[in-house]
Amino acid sequence: MLKPLLLILVAELWGVTGQILFKKSVNSLEPPRLRCAASYLNFVRCILRTRKIWLGLCFVAVGTVVWLTALAQTELSLAFPIKSVQYVLILIAARLFLHERIDAMKLAGTLFVIAGIVLITVS
Amino acid sequence: MRKNRLTFVVFVMLIMTDIGESIAELLLKKGLLHTGILAVSLDNLLEFVARNASSCLIWCGVAVYMVNFLIWIAALSRVDLSIALPVASTSYLFVPILSVIFLNEQVSLVRWAGVALIIAGIHFLSRSTRS
Repeated sequence: MLKPLLLILVAELWGVTGQILFKKSVNSLEPPRLRCAASYLNFVRCILRTRKIWLGLCFVAVGTVVWLTALAQTELSLAFPIKSVQYVLILIAARLFLHERIDAMKLAGTLFVIAGIVLITVS
Repeated sequence: MRKNRLTFVVFVMLIMTDIGESIAELLLKKGLLHTGILAVSLDNLLEFVARNASSCLIWCGVAVYMVNFLIWIAALSRVDLSIALPVASTSYLFVPILSVIFLNEQVSLVRWAGVALIIAGIHFLSRSTRS
C-alpha cells in the first residue's frame, strides 16, 4: 500500500506544480473582459505564447503518467480518494509561492482531508 | 466581481464535470486492466507507457478529461470557486459507486467514512474563500 500511496503523492506534486505555473502565468496577464470575444481570443493568444504555460502542461503530463502507474496497481476506489491530497499540496504551494493567506477554516478543511486519506489508506 | 448565483445551468455543468471525471477515471482504470501491466517498475516503465499509449480506452479517458476541463472553466467563469468546489467534490462519491458497479471493487465502511471526511474537508476549504 505504501508504494501506490507514494506514487500518487509524487503524481500530485507534478500536477500541483503545473497548476501553480498556470496560476502564476495567468496572474501576470490581464483577465479577459466579460462578453468581449476579442479579449478572450487575445487572452488565449497570450497564454499560448507564455513559456510557463507550456512548462506547466509538461508537468501535468508527467503527473498523469505517474498517476497511471499508481492506478495500475491499486483499486480505483482506493486510489481516487487519495488524489484529494492535491488540496493539501495546493494550500502549501499557494502559501509558499503565491503568498495567499491561510485561515483557520482552510486549516480545518485540510486536516479533514488528511484524516480521510489516512482512514482510506489503512482500510 | 462576485459571481455567486448558482443557476440551474451552472449546477448541471458542474455535475456534468463530476460525472465526466468519474467516467474518465473508470475508462483509465479499465484501460490499464485491459493493457494488463499491473506491476510497474523502472524496468518495464517504457513498455507500460508504450502499451497504454496505444490503448483506445486510455485515450478516451484523456479525451473526456479534456472536454471536462473546458466545461469546468466555462462553469468557473459563471460562478465563484467557493460555490463550484463543493458541487465538484461529489466526484469523490461517484467514483467509489462506479468502482463497485463496473469494477466489482469492495468498498468497506471505513473507506466510505474516509470519503465522507474528504468531502467535508473540501466544504470547509471552500467556505473560507467565501469571506
